[in-house]
Amino acid sequence: MWRNYLKTALRNLGRRKLYTAINVFGLAAGIASFILLTLYLQNEWTYDQFHTHANELYRIRLDYGERDQPVTHTAMNPSGLGPVMKDFPEVKYMSRVYLEATTVKVGDKAVNEKKFIYADPAFFQMFSFPLLSGNTATALNGPNMVVLTATMARKYFGTTDVVGRTLTINNGKSYQVTGVSVDPPSNTHLKYDFVASYASMGKKDSWNAPNYFTYVQLTDKATAAGLHKRLANFIQEMMKGQTRSGATLDFVPESVPAIHLHSIADNSIEPGGDIRYNYILTVVSILLLLIACINFMNLATARSADRSLEIGVRKALGAIRMQLFWQFIAESCLITFCAMGVGILLAAVLLPYFNNMTGGALRFTNGYTLYVLLGAVFMGTTFLAGTYPALFLSGFRPVQVLKGRIMFAKGGNIRKTLVVFQFAASVFFIICTLVVGQQLHYIQHKKLGLDRAQVLVLPGAGFTPDQLTLFKSRLLQQTGIKEVSASYDSPVAVGGGYSISAFEGKPADYSMNITAIPVEKDYLRTMGIRLVAGADLTNADIQDVLRTDSAKTNHFFLNETAVYKLGLKPDEAVGKRLSLNGREGTVKGVMKDFHFASMKDKIAPIIVFPEYNYFGQVLLKTSGGNNQQVVAAIESLWNQYQSGIPFEYHFMDEDFNRLYKAEFSTSNILRTFSTIVILVSCMGLLGLAAFTAEQRTREVGIRKVLGASAGSVVMLLSKDFIRLVLWALCIAAPLAWYAMHHWLEAFAYHAALSVWTFLLAGVLAIAIALLTVSLQSVRAALANPVKSLRSE
Amino acid sequence: MIQLQKISRHYPVGFGKNYILKDVDLTINEGEFVSIMGPSGSGKSTLLHILGLLEEPSEGQYLFEGERVDKMNEKKRTQLHRGAIGFVFQAYHLIDELTVYENIETPLLYKNIPSSERKSRVADVLDRFNMVAKKDLFPNQLSGGQQQLVGIARAIVAEPRVILADEPTGNLHSDQAKVIMQLFKHLNEQDKITIVQVTHSDVNATYGNRIIQLRDGNILP
Repeated sequence: MWRNYLKTALRNLGRRKLYTAINVFGLAAGIASFILLTLYLQNEWTYDQFHTHANELYRIRLDYGERDQPVTHTAMNPSGLGPVMKDFPEVKYMSRVYLEATTVKVGDKAVNEKKFIYADPAFFQMFSFPLLSGNTATALNGPNMVVLTATMARKYFGTTDVVGRTLTINNGKSYQVTGVSVDPPSNTHLKYDFVASYASMGKKDSWNAPNYFTYVQLTDKATAAGLHKRLANFIQEMMKGQTRSGATLDFVPESVPAIHLHSIADNSIEPGGDIRYNYILTVVSILLLLIACINFMNLATARSADRSLEIGVRKALGAIRMQLFWQFIAESCLITFCAMGVGILLAAVLLPYFNNMTGGALRFTNGYTLYVLLGAVFMGTTFLAGTYPALFLSGFRPVQVLKGRIMFAKGGNIRKTLVVFQFAASVFFIICTLVVGQQLHYIQHKKLGLDRAQVLVLPGAGFTPDQLTLFKSRLLQQTGIKEVSASYDSPVAVGGGYSISAFEGKPADYSMNITAIPVEKDYLRTMGIRLVAGADLTNADIQDVLRTDSAKTNHFFLNETAVYKLGLKPDEAVGKRLSLNGREGTVKGVMKDFHFASMKDKIAPIIVFPEYNYFGQVLLKTSGGNNQQVVAAIESLWNQYQSGIPFEYHFMDEDFNRLYKAEFSTSNILRTFSTIVILVSCMGLLGLAAFTAEQRTREVGIRKVLGASAGSVVMLLSKDFIRLVLWALCIAAPLAWYAMHHWLEAFAYHAALSVWTFLLAGVLAIAIALLTVSLQSVRAALANPVKSLRSE
Repeated sequence: MIQLQKISRHYPVGFGKNYILKDVDLTINEGEFVSIMGPSGSGKSTLLHILGLLEEPSEGQYLFEGERVDKMNEKKRTQLHRGAIGFVFQAYHLIDELTVYENIETPLLYKNIPSSERKSRVADVLDRFNMVAKKDLFPNQLSGGQQQLVGIARAIVAEPRVILADEPTGNLHSDQAKVIMQLFKHLNEQDKITIVQVTHSDVNATYGNRIIQLRDGNILP
């Protein structure tokens, strides 16, 4: 029996090639997209769940705020917190993590490494990063020990059997390799290449600089709430009598598996994912499958006239409805099976491109969840797509068919509704893609108040002030380099929490949290930051800063926001005295507001001041043009002045774009999958149009004999479909408006939603539909009517 | 064997009814070869469909071997349909996607006959109709007469007691028609299969042993 079903199905599919191709490739596209998105989402949802003690692991977040100012959440704590917590009864293990960019040297090979962390001895006992060699309990329990990943071991030593070998890092210290760990998986926020023992840093615990991540593993009985309470008590005890009124300070435990999607802390080791985008992508993947299923249902029922005779005969021969039902289910099973094969193949081929697009490192072997899901999709698709046509077709009355009455395709209204749904989804995605694109364009082209174009960044400099001055003067002799400066941090992504603790004319207990960047003299000029009051730095000013006697004074630049917040006008602020974390000085100028953080946030107060201690990066303003030559020249100079550190550079644009990494990758994903949604919907439309054209061959023939023009026939055949697309537009536009309005709200600075976007999306959808339908209707319109009438 | 008592079939038209068959009484005995004749629209096909359980009468009783068909449960009706009745159509109605062999096999599949028995029965029928060489061809590779032979083979493979044929030679030219009619006569005489055919042709009607004339839904006396 099943063989008979299968044979009929195979031959049926073979005879109807367009129909089969549309079904198989439509479903395959849906399934491939589903696989890729599932892999992606699986990775997102399972972040840090693989740790054996995942539910007992917590990272401590620091929340602090001043009176009338929003609370700042940061993932970083002072180094003093860890040792204190280690003695709490709730805490089983504790490890601090300090992230550093450093140069690793083995023999002649020296490379700048960004994922070099220092951690306390318990690190490998808390987190489940298995060691290939070395002991988890002792690998980090002394100074100058390092564990590296298998990949790094191969990179530097050519083998993973490296325990006992040594490597040197930029300060000249040598480290002994005490272990090799597997590479951290893609679903952990703790992606390291090297873990050195915390003791190697030789730093005293302090309560000043919040630069350390603190992780703890709780004991079996302890709860996060209990730990939070103990921390609160501890702060109260410690800060007794020291707190300024209105200032708040709180240490909050955050569950490690929740960090990636739920943490509100800034300065995490890896920027967090956005749970909203995950929801969107879940919907997208299900929608894609649904749309492919709709194609199947529509085409199957549209072809019912085609199959009616077979059904009638089978019934006359004694088939009951159930038997026919299962025959059609077998058919949809067969199609789904083929589509599954093609889909999996497609996903495997496209995975590297998808990884490229999302910046991930997804692989097919991420456990069995995907395969269980695929099984469910197989069953789901077979029955969802198969049941309706099977019920529909198996319900035909044989007599009508056998009497030779022409069967018209029934179920027209359901079919139309489903097409409207498909196109509504398409239009929705077109609009979303357009709006997201507009916002990204807005972000990239909005005047930032600073000129980041053609600015080269040389990270990891670590020059002394004298070295820098020399290097700078040589650089300026190069053609193509207009300005040179240096700063502690990148101006588009500044961290570092400072506060103004005294300001001339304010009460003694005045305090304001502020972002600060220590810079070199020509910083403002190099970055193109404009002054609205005061003047730029002179050499004499720098001399003031460099003095070590009591005449030393600092010069500060505030932005407009900071000045307004102080209740002043730009002109009034110049010359005022202030104190910034112990640095005394006066306001030298007021900068026009510029964007130094993501556009999701409003511009915050910022202070810029010259300080010649440490420069994280050298900034060069080039004149554009022959960049390669300029870079080559810089490299040779670099090697002259910085022999220890390999030369690296990037454009500041890249720093800037990194702020919107999630947006860019979502935009890419959205664009790709909207294209697929539209494509699959069009395939369905193509099939329906082909069917309609075929069904109306006789009508078209008669109309043409009566003198209808080709144009009017095309119109006749397309009109109905266009009406459906218009309906879809009416449904999708308000939904898209609502969704996009919501999305844009998340940005403090955003593009306006314009009617034109919606019109464009509508025109686009109609054009695409018209094009698809006309592929068939034009052919029908141009056909020789004599032929079609004779064949009747 | 077959008894129709006051069988009517009508469709609602406006507020009234349009009768296709009205108060038809008919008895067909086992082993008969009956020809139903009459002009277009006289209700021939409807009568045949009612006999074949493809259509239900609006009024009246249908008794198959003394048992009321309308009182039968679904299972028994299906059994009767599958086991006792074979259909032959004017337009052959073979399934295009199946070969000759598979077309003939289909009724046996629906009767859930085991594979080995299916094989031997299909082989017997193919042999009897001299179509062994054509068993792997598809319907569109056969002439009309050959297709109708397959249609008949398909109708008898399940060993029915009645064959209902709706203008079985209507699409064939006279030579082919003769072959088919002789086959029916043979099946009737040798295999004792009761045959009811609808036909327009007086020549074909003579193969049978009784002629029923239908006019406007009534049997002429």
